[in-house]
Amino acid sequence: MSGLLDRRLVVVTGKGGTGKSTLSAAIALASARRGKKTLVCEVVAKERVADFFGRPPSGTQIRELLPNLHSVHVRPREAMREYALMTIKYETLYKIAFENAAARYFLAAAPSLAEIVMLGKVWWHASREMERGRLRWDLVVLDAPATGHGLTFLSVPEVFLRLVQEGPLARDMRGMQSLLADPQRCGVCVVTLPEEMPANEAIELDRALRARNFPDGPLFLNGTFDSRFSPQELLQATRGGPLLAAAGEAADNHEARAQLSAQYEGVLREAVPRPLTRVPYLFERSFGVQAIDRVAHAIEGAL
Amino acid sequence: MNFADAVRGRKILCCVGSGGVGKTTTAAALALRAAMDGKRTLVLTIDPARRLANSLGLKEMGNEETRIEPSLFAQAGLHPRGEMWAMMLDLKHTWDDLVRRQARSAEQAKAILENQLYQTLSTAMAGSIEYMAMEKVYEVYNSGRFELVVLDTPPTSNALDFLHAADRILDVLDNNAMRIVLGPMLRAGKFGFKLLAAPSGLVLRTLARFTGSDFLRDLAGFMMAFEGMYEGFKERAGKVKALLTSREAAFVLVTSPNPHTTQEALFFHQALHKDGIGTAAVIVNRVQRDPRRHGGPDNLPALKEALQLAQIKDTGSPLLSERLCQTLNEQATLADLDRREVERLHQALRGVPLFSVPRLRKDVHDLAGLWQIDRYLSGED
Repeated sequence: MSGLLDRRLVVVTGKGGTGKSTLSAAIALASARRGKKTLVCEVVAKERVADFFGRPPSGTQIRELLPNLHSVHVRPREAMREYALMTIKYETLYKIAFENAAARYFLAAAPSLAEIVMLGKVWWHASREMERGRLRWDLVVLDAPATGHGLTFLSVPEVFLRLVQEGPLARDMRGMQSLLADPQRCGVCVVTLPEEMPANEAIELDRALRARNFPDGPLFLNGTFDSRFSPQELLQATRGGPLLAAAGEAADNHEARAQLSAQYEGVLREAVPRPLTRVPYLFERSFGVQAIDRVAHAIEGAL
Repeated sequence: MNFADAVRGRKILCCVGSGGVGKTTTAAALALRAAMDGKRTLVLTIDPARRLANSLGLKEMGNEETRIEPSLFAQAGLHPRGEMWAMMLDLKHTWDDLVRRQARSAEQAKAILENQLYQTLSTAMAGSIEYMAMEKVYEVYNSGRFELVVLDTPPTSNALDFLHAADRILDVLDNNAMRIVLGPMLRAGKFGFKLLAAPSGLVLRTLARFTGSDFLRDLAGFMMAFEGMYEGFKERAGKVKALLTSREAAFVLVTSPNPHTTQEALFFHQALHKDGIGTAAVIVNRVQRDPRRHGGPDNLPALKEALQLAQIKDTGSPLLSERLCQTLNEQATLADLDRREVERLHQALRGVPLFSVPRLRKDVHDLAGLWQIDRYLSGED
């Protein structure tokens, strides 16, 4: 199997709050550093990646964040317009057909049409968009919606094709489906945390992804703590009297979290047949480019 | 004020907030507290990952109300005066029940339930889970079997999605709109609408180029089956919304001290406000406690001295004192950041009672853990 960064599309999935956007940004940064033209597509309501690099939101226009590193916010309405115009070609006809009250109803009724056009746009960037005779992007990183919704999102082509077999949209859906099933061109990563609920969800998500034959990418265990104190040191520090009360509690908290990290790493290694990469907890809340860079270094081996 | 005061008299608690902030755990903890206080309580959770099932030691929940075994409470050293029940929302079942209830005849219900598009739409449409969660709360509340219902909402990206999910889905089912779009495919006949084979009319032909005409035919078929039911759905959804926005119900914002989630919590609060709903309480989970509250040395020379006084060898690489100092600093940094964020939330939500639950040493996955959260919420800990 080819390395993750040698593929066309890397999808980053996981439970909400596990750090999907952080990992997406770090994967994209690592890719850009290798000289690959990289695009991050964010499909959730609020975009975050540009902010990590100290840039204003990209919006629906592709923006350069760093050399080789770009991001775009994929929103349903704009994606629909772009997508429909590619198929219909005539702006006037598009307006007549799509921009009226009745069509809005129809568009809402079509199963997951918003997801379809958003995924369609991502697919187009990953496998169709050309520049000077070659594909414009070496790698597209998709920061996918959270677990349940993320799975629905990736399954959209399959669901759609069950209902519709003809027409341009169905043809493109087949293209997407084949990209999403090709381990040479696509990898689906899972992000989780060393906590019970996120770990359980990662296990279920991994199973669901494999059952649907999405090509395996790495499992990222985000926010891990490494043990720093031997049991004896911990015992001494926590019983060191009032002068060591603060330091002792801090050490005790740290070891508790290190123990949870080790425990869930074990559980996940057992249950999830993907390579697991630990991403250390970062002691900062405003994630700047330095934080993303540290994550990128931590995951280098998995790429 | 403790949490119980903040929601006194309410019969429905909706826990809302972004994903990963501990909504499910919080909802279960609130239900446990009410059960301990003597209420017959149900926690309704929506969850493919069976989070609540895990946390309460339940294997199967389905769409059935399941009582938490009294023996589980006893094991945790708890003796509730009331009862705690749990239910996991089964999306498809709830939809099917609703269709059966609203259909004018068994034949109509059957036609809808067997329609391929209905099966996809009901489970895949955006907002479907939110809509059915509200529907289920309404049903359970009206059954009169529970004195309190706690709803663990799906991790909706925003409050508007939650409160307006039903409206958006019902727009889709609105037959008037159907007649406008699909009109050219339908002909009014003696027995209602009749389906024509091919799409006609400019709008329809253009749309068909986009989706294929199969889909349009399926859609028209579904709409025909649904004929006459829209008003009933609309009326019921109106009642559901009225209940959730009445004084019977309270919205509890759940968040973590992460700036992104507090931002979303504020957004949620504003969206509720726009709908005329007050936020009854805010719960901030996983707030780092500041180890410096114990006082004592927090810099390297002082820590070295403290180790010496306690006759602890300062060895290892890096030295024990250096590791202790780094660890203390890291956690102090986190505590500062969390404090600042909680303070910011407090300022922005003036007048809304705010409760902090500290980051606990262990994951909360059982009744004892839930009870520990309750103690923080009631100010006992």
